[in-house]
Amino acid sequence: MTETLLATLVSGVVLGSLYALMASGLSVVWTTLGVFNFAHGALMMFGAYIAWTVSEAAGLGLPAGILAGTAGAAFAGVVIERLLVRPFYGNRNMLLVTVMTTLAAMIILEKGAQIIWGARLKQLPRLIDGEVSLLGVAISAHEAILLVLAPAVLIAIWRFTVLTNTGRSLRAVGQNQDSAALIGINVPVAFALAFGLSAALAGLTGALLGSIRFITPSMGAEPLVKAMIVVIFGGLGSLGATAGAAYIIGIIEALLILWLGLYWTPFVLFLLMIVVLVFRPNGIFGGRE
Amino acid sequence: MTPTVKNVALPLICLALLLVVPAVVSDSYTRHLFIIAFIYAIIASNWNLSLGHCGVFNFGHLTFFGVGVYTAAIAAKTLGVSPWISILSGGVTAALAAFIIAAPVARLKGIYVVLVTFAFSQLAMQLVLSQSQITGGAEGMVRIPYLKLGDYSFIRDYKLGYYYAGLALLSVSTLFLIAVTRSPFGKSLTAVRDAEDYAASRGISVSRQRILVLILSAIFTGFAGGFYAIYLRVASPEVFGFGTLSLALSMVLIGGTGTTFGPIVAALALTFATESLAGIRGFEEARFIVIAVAMILVLRVAPGGVLGILDRLLPSARQ
Repeated sequence: MTETLLATLVSGVVLGSLYALMASGLSVVWTTLGVFNFAHGALMMFGAYIAWTVSEAAGLGLPAGILAGTAGAAFAGVVIERLLVRPFYGNRNMLLVTVMTTLAAMIILEKGAQIIWGARLKQLPRLIDGEVSLLGVAISAHEAILLVLAPAVLIAIWRFTVLTNTGRSLRAVGQNQDSAALIGINVPVAFALAFGLSAALAGLTGALLGSIRFITPSMGAEPLVKAMIVVIFGGLGSLGATAGAAYIIGIIEALLILWLGLYWTPFVLFLLMIVVLVFRPNGIFGGRE
Repeated sequence: MTPTVKNVALPLICLALLLVVPAVVSDSYTRHLFIIAFIYAIIASNWNLSLGHCGVFNFGHLTFFGVGVYTAAIAAKTLGVSPWISILSGGVTAALAAFIIAAPVARLKGIYVVLVTFAFSQLAMQLVLSQSQITGGAEGMVRIPYLKLGDYSFIRDYKLGYYYAGLALLSVSTLFLIAVTRSPFGKSLTAVRDAEDYAASRGISVSRQRILVLILSAIFTGFAGGFYAIYLRVASPEVFGFGTLSLALSMVLIGGTGTTFGPIVAALALTFATESLAGIRGFEEARFIVIAVAMILVLRVAPGGVLGILDRLLPSARQ
C-alpha cells in the first residue's frame, strides 16, 4: 500500500513539474499584460515540432533540438504579441478581444503544424536512457531531469524578476503601465519580453514532453487545460502561488487516478476548479482584491 | 437604408428567398449545407444574445448545444421517445444546464467568466466521455431515430422535410431573439453591458439579468442541438471541442456582435465558404486558418462586424 502511494506521489510530482513549467508561462503573461493566452498550448506543440525537426530531421542532436524548440516558440510568441495582442492595447474589451485573437492563433498554429509536419506521430529520443530510483520508486532518467529542471527554471525566473532591472521592469509594467512608462521603462519592449519568455517556457516544456508523449498538432490542448486549472487554483497573480498550485494539482491528479480511475479524474478536477472559482475567485493562495 | 427596410423588409426578402431555394436547388448535398448553416445560425445568433447584447463572456455556449445533442440522442434512441419530443427536450435540458452554469457566472467578472464557462464545457465533455455505457464515450452514438410525420420520412425528396424544419426552427429562433432584444428586458441587458454601475443604480439586478440571459440563450441552442442529433443521426463528443467553438465564435464576430441578423448572415456565408474551400485540394486544413485570419482581421478592422462595414458604406443608415 505504501509503495503504491509512494509511486503515486512521485508520478504526481512529475506531472506537477510539467504543469509548473506550463502554468508559470501563462502566469507571466497574465501578470504583465493582463492577457490570457489561449495559444500557450499551441506554442508548446510548436516548440516540440521545431525540436523534432532540428534534432531528428536535421540530425543535429537533442540538445540542439531543445534549444531550437525553445527559441522557435519564443520567436512565435513575440510575433503573436506584435500582431495579435499589441493592436488591441487600450481597447475597452481588450481582455475578451485578446482571448479571441489568441484562440485564432491557436487554430493557425495547430492547423499550420498539421500541414507542415503531417498527421504522422513523431517522438523525440530521451535525453538520457535508463532509470533512476526515487524514494524506492523507479522513474525514467528523462523524467528525473524534468523533476530537477522545472524548479531550477522557476527559481531562475523568480530571481530574474526580483534581482535584474529588466525583470523588475516586467513587474512594474504589470502593476502600473503609466507609472512604468513615466520612470523610463519601455512598455512595448517589456510586453514583447514577457510574451517571449512565456512562449520560451512553453517551447521548452514541449521539447521535453516530446520524449515522453507523441508529438501531434493537438498535443498542446490537454496541457493548456491543465495549466488553466493550475492558475485558477493558485490564482493568476504570482509565480510562487502558481508553482505551488502546479505541484498540488499534479499530486491530486495522481491520487485521483489511483482512487477513481482515468475516466473520472478530469471530471473531478474540473468540478474542483469551478468550486474554487466560485468561492475563491483569486485562488487558494490569492488575497482579496 | 431606412431602419424599416433594414430590419423588416430585408430579412423578409431573405426568408422568402430561402423558402424558394429547394425549388431551385434539388441536390441533397447543397441542401445539407443549408441545413447545417441553419443550425449554426441558431447557435451563433443565440450566443450573440449573451455575448453581444449582455456582454457576458460566455465561452461555454457550445455546451448548451452539446447538451441538446445528447439529450435528444439518448431520449430518441435509448428511451424510445418520439424524435419530435426529443428535440424539444434538448432545449429543456440545455436551459437547465444554463441555469447551473449561470449561478457561478453571475458572481464572477472578466477573465474568470471565460475560464469557468470554458471549464464547464470541458466538464460536460468529460462527463460524456466517462459515461460511455450511456453516451457511447469517445465513439459517440449512431443510428439515432429519424424524423417522421405520419409515414413521411424527412430524409425523402432530397432532405426536403429537414430543410423546411431547419428553416422553421431558425425563423422561430430569430423571432424569439427579436422579441427579447426589443423588450424592456432586452434594453436592460444592453444597460448591464454598457454601464453596469448605472444599471445597478437604476434598480436592474445585474446577476439576475446575467442568469436570465444565459438561460434564454440556451433554449434555442438546445433545440438546434436536438435537431442536429436527429438530422445527422449521430452524437459525438466533438461538439464540445475547440473546432466547433471557434467556428461558431467566428460567425458571431464576423457577423457583428450585438446585431440580430449579423451572425445569421455570417453563419450562412461561412458554412458555404468553408465547404467550398474544403473542395480545393490541399485546403482541407488550411480553410480553418483562413477563418482564423478572417476573425483577426474583422476584430482589427471592423469590430462591429461585416454588417457594420456595410452600415458605414451606406451613408443613409447614419442618423
